[in-house]
Amino acid sequence: MQLDFATKQLTIKLVYYGPALSGKTTNLQALHQAADAQSKGRLMTLDTKDDRTLFFDLLPLTFEDRSGLSVRIKVFTVPGQVIHASTRRLVVQGADGVAFIADSRLAETDHNTESFLDLQKNLKGQGIELEKMPLVIQFNKRDLPNVRSDAEIREMAKMGREPVYLGVATRGLGVVPCFIGLLHQTWRGLEAAHDLKGKFGFDGSSFIKDVATKLGDPREISDILGDSAGGGASHG
Amino acid sequence: MGESLPKGLNELVLEQQFALEDVLDRRALPEFTRSVEALFGVSVRILTSAGTILADAGELPSLYRLYQKSKSGRLRLNQTISRVLAARPELGRITTVPCVSGATYFISAIAHDGHILGRIVVGPLFVADEPSTSPQELDVPEILEPELLEALEAIPRRSAADCENILQHLGHTLDVLLYSGFKAHLASSMHLSSVRESFRELSEKNAKLQLAYDRLRELDRLKSNFLATVSHELRTPLTSIIGYSEMLKEGIPGELNEEQAEFVTTIHQKGEQLLELIQSLLDLSKLESGTMSLKKKDVDCGALARDVALTLTPTARKKQVELTTEVEANLPAFFGDGERLRQVLLNLIENAIKFTARDGKVHLMVRLAKEASDQAEGGGVVLGTLRRTVLEFMVVDTGIGIPDEQRERVFDAFYQVDNSATREIGGSGLGLSIVKRLVDAHDGQIYIEPNQPTGTRFIVRLPLRRTS
Repeated sequence: MQLDFATKQLTIKLVYYGPALSGKTTNLQALHQAADAQSKGRLMTLDTKDDRTLFFDLLPLTFEDRSGLSVRIKVFTVPGQVIHASTRRLVVQGADGVAFIADSRLAETDHNTESFLDLQKNLKGQGIELEKMPLVIQFNKRDLPNVRSDAEIREMAKMGREPVYLGVATRGLGVVPCFIGLLHQTWRGLEAAHDLKGKFGFDGSSFIKDVATKLGDPREISDILGDSAGGGASHG
Repeated sequence: MGESLPKGLNELVLEQQFALEDVLDRRALPEFTRSVEALFGVSVRILTSAGTILADAGELPSLYRLYQKSKSGRLRLNQTISRVLAARPELGRITTVPCVSGATYFISAIAHDGHILGRIVVGPLFVADEPSTSPQELDVPEILEPELLEALEAIPRRSAADCENILQHLGHTLDVLLYSGFKAHLASSMHLSSVRESFRELSEKNAKLQLAYDRLRELDRLKSNFLATVSHELRTPLTSIIGYSEMLKEGIPGELNEEQAEFVTTIHQKGEQLLELIQSLLDLSKLESGTMSLKKKDVDCGALARDVALTLTPTARKKQVELTTEVEANLPAFFGDGERLRQVLLNLIENAIKFTARDGKVHLMVRLAKEASDQAEGGGVVLGTLRRTVLEFMVVDTGIGIPDEQRERVFDAFYQVDNSATREIGGSGLGLSIVKRLVDAHDGQIYIEPNQPTGTRFIVRLPLRRTS
C-alpha cells in the first residue's frame, strides 16, 4: 500500500494467484470488461506468443471516495507456470490482498494445493504469514465436467477462514463478487492497520458499494458478499 | 530477507517513478514531431515535467529570426519562451500562452495513470477568426516593416477547434507511445529483476552446496587421517606377531613337530599378507593426504619393466598364463621414483594375471609415444608443437575385461567390479587406486581400453621432461 497524504492518494495492490491455466488472466479480463470506462485503465498483459502470462498482467482501477481520497487499485496476476517461481515472488511482494484462483476440476486438486503452498512459501520469504494476508479463494471453471461439487465446496469452505467464491471467469460469472470480497477483506485489514477512517474520513462500506456499482453490480454489499460459498464466517 | 529482494515492480507500478525521458526515446521523438509538423503545418514541442525539451520545433518562425537581430527583440523573445516553459496546464485542459508576435501557443499536459509527466506545446499560431497583428503593434523600430509583415504572414492560422484536435491527436498518440514504452520498460525491469532473483536463489543454493562440500572434504580428510593412524598402530603389534612366528618357525625356542611347524607357517604367511594390506592402506592414505614424498632420480624404465616381469614370471607360470615383455630400444631415462613405478607395474601386471584365465596371455610393452596435450583440443595446434613425448607402459591381457561404465570407477579405493569375482580371486580393492594416485603424482595419466576380442589394456603415460 502507498499512501500519499499530499495528493490524498491511496494505492492498493491486489494479486491474483493460482496454478497455471486456472483463469487468473481471464478474471482480470472479465473485471476489465465489467468496469466503467472512467474507472479502468488499460489492461496490461506481458505474455508470450501462446498467451501464457510471462511476467504478470496489470489492471489499474481508480475510484474516488466521497471523502476525496483517490483510491488506485492495481490488480496483478502472477504467472502460474512452475518455472516462473522468481517472478511470482516479485509480483506478490507488497501485496495488500490475494485472490487465489483454483481450478475446480478434480484432476487439478494437486496443482491447486501445490500453488497454495507456493504462495504460502513466497509470503513467508517476505516475512508475511498467510494467516495475516487478506485472502479469498475462487473455484473457477464451474461449467466444466468432473469438478468438485458445490455441496462439497460449501462443506469444506466452512472449515476455512477465507471466503470462497464460485466462478466461470470465461463468462464473467462470480468474478465481481470475488473481487468485491477481496476488496472487503483488504479494506478491513488496511483499516485496522492504518485507521483510514480516522485520518481521511474514508468510509469503506460506501466506497466498496460505489466500486461494486462501477463494476456493474448495484446490489447491497451484504448481498454481494452473500454470494460466497462459505468461509470467513467468523470474520463476517 | 524481504529487503534483499529487488524491488523493481513496486517502484515502477505503485510509486510511479518513471519519467517521460525513461520511456520516450530522445533521439527518435523529433522524427515524430517533424512528421506531425509536416501534416498539420504547425510547430510542435514536447517538454518533460521539469521543462526540459525532449523534442524541439523543426524550424523557428522567420519573425523570431528577425527579433534575434535586435537587443530588445531578443529580450521579448526570451520572455515568451519563459512564459511557455512556465505554463502548467491541468490534466485534460488546454492552456494558452501569448507569443511575442501576438499569436498564441497552445499547451496541454501529457499524463500517464493520472500523473503529469510533461507537456505538448503547439504554436505559435493565429486563431482563425482573430485579426492578425499589424507590424506597428509589434513596436520594433529596428526591423523594416515589409520584413515584419512578411514574417507575420508566415505564422500559420488555424481554427480553435483545429488546435484542440491537433492537441488531442498528439495527446492520444503520445499516450500510446508512453504506454508501449512503459510496458517495455516494465517488461525489461521485470526480466532483470527475475534474473537477479534467480541468481540470488542460485547463489544461496551454491553457498549451501559449498558448505556441504567443504564438510564432506573435511570428513574425507579425517577418514584419511584415521586410516593412517589405525594402519600405523596395527603395524606395530603385527611386526611382533610376524617376528615371533618367524623365530618359532626357525626353531629358536626349540624344535617344532610337523603339525606345529605348519600352523606357525600359516600364522607367518597370513601375518605377511596382513602387513601388505596395511602397507597399502598406509600408502593410500599418504597419497590422499599428499604426504607421500617421491624420491626422484633418473630411472631406466626398460630395465625396470624387465625386472618386474621377471619377478612375476613364477606367479604367471603357476596360473599357466603366458607373460611376455617388449621394450623399445634406446629409451631415455625417466625422472621419477623408481620404487613407486615398480609398484605401479607390479600392481598392473599382478592384476592382469589375476583376472586372466589359464592359457591366457599378459603382455607388457614399454615405448615412447607422442601425445596431444590438453591444449590441442582448444585449437592452436598451428602455433607450435603442442604434442609432447611420453613414456608409455601398456599392460594387455586376455582376461575377463572391464565393462565400459566401470572403467572410471575401478580407480576408486575399495571398489571392485564384481564382488563375487573378488571372493574367488581375492584382493583388497586398493591396488588400482594406489596405482592411479602414484601415476598422478608423476603428472602422468592412466587409461583403460578394451582389448580385442577380450581383456583389458591398461595404458600409463608419463611425460618426459622437455630437454632444451
